[in-house]
Amino acid sequence: MTLDYGHAEGFAAASREHLEPIAAQARILVVEDDDNIAALLGRELRGLGHTVDTVRYAEDALFAARANDYTLMIVDLGLPDGDGLDLVREMRRRTVEAPILMLTARRRVEDRVMGLTSGADDYLVKPFAVPEMRARVTALLRRPSRLRGHRIAIANMVVDADALEAIVDGVSLALPRKQFQLLELLARRKNHMTPKRMVEEALYGFDDDVTANSIEAQISKLRRALKAAGAGVALETRRGIGYRLVGAGGAPN
Amino acid sequence: MRTPRPTGQDLKLLDPDGSFRARLDADRQAIAQLSDSGRLEDLARIVHGLAGAAGTFGYAEVGNIAIELDDRFVAGEPVRAADVARLLAALEQALGLPGKSA
Repeated sequence: MTLDYGHAEGFAAASREHLEPIAAQARILVVEDDDNIAALLGRELRGLGHTVDTVRYAEDALFAARANDYTLMIVDLGLPDGDGLDLVREMRRRTVEAPILMLTARRRVEDRVMGLTSGADDYLVKPFAVPEMRARVTALLRRPSRLRGHRIAIANMVVDADALEAIVDGVSLALPRKQFQLLELLARRKNHMTPKRMVEEALYGFDDDVTANSIEAQISKLRRALKAAGAGVALETRRGIGYRLVGAGGAPN
Repeated sequence: MRTPRPTGQDLKLLDPDGSFRARLDADRQAIAQLSDSGRLEDLARIVHGLAGAAGTFGYAEVGNIAIELDDRFVAGEPVRAADVARLLAALEQALGLPGKSA
């Protein structure tokens, strides 16, 4: 049997120059024991602007899913400590709602059907073409049931999660990716205190090198950018607790 | 449709630090040893890994032969020494070491 798993343009499209725009940045859990495949997935998905956590074992995946609110999971079926099918069933039993893309070298139709009936949302057979993987991830993230509120208004500012853009008085505010992720998180929780740990989990993956001052530095830069743009908001810091975004003067918006 | 051969640039994009290529070489040596020793379970595990990964990283010929052998292992069908030799030859070709197992 000869599988056609990549066209010439498919390989070429692995280039960053050919990346397609996506709806929103997501936090993705990759459960894969093949180090090369895991690294490839992490690299490609981070290249799309997502935060990616990678684990090798089903047990670690359950722990990670309990500790984090993932937008999407990619689960390999052949894991060292169990079957990925059982992992997906257990995730669903625990009411994990994130879409799951199954990844497997099992190529038979009955395997694919079993994967989908166990609770997975889509199925990608190894070997896979990177552009197809990206397209499937993008499609899963685009599903209406997974969409969250996209435009969050606060004072004279709108945070548009689809366009990855903050708009102040109708003028687009160009923010680096991390600062936009931070702003989106705080805007979604506007008027509420957001614990520092939650900020850290939203902005950084397991493997990211986060220093004690990383979050403070991002907060400081975001505060300066909002002030410079004339945003009528205040980004408050409560030492030892976290951060809060409020309309200017502290009045709820 | 014939699977096109990826260019060197494609392979570099898919494996920028060369870790998959290094794995191919390690797998090649392991397969050679295991096929001599007859440890089929370990051989099947390596072949299964190659069946899933080699094509993803652009090594089409290695991937296709590994898939063929993996299907036989899964079906409980015999895997002949000549089949393993074909896989080794494809690995050597991919690594630029032609002719060793010929």
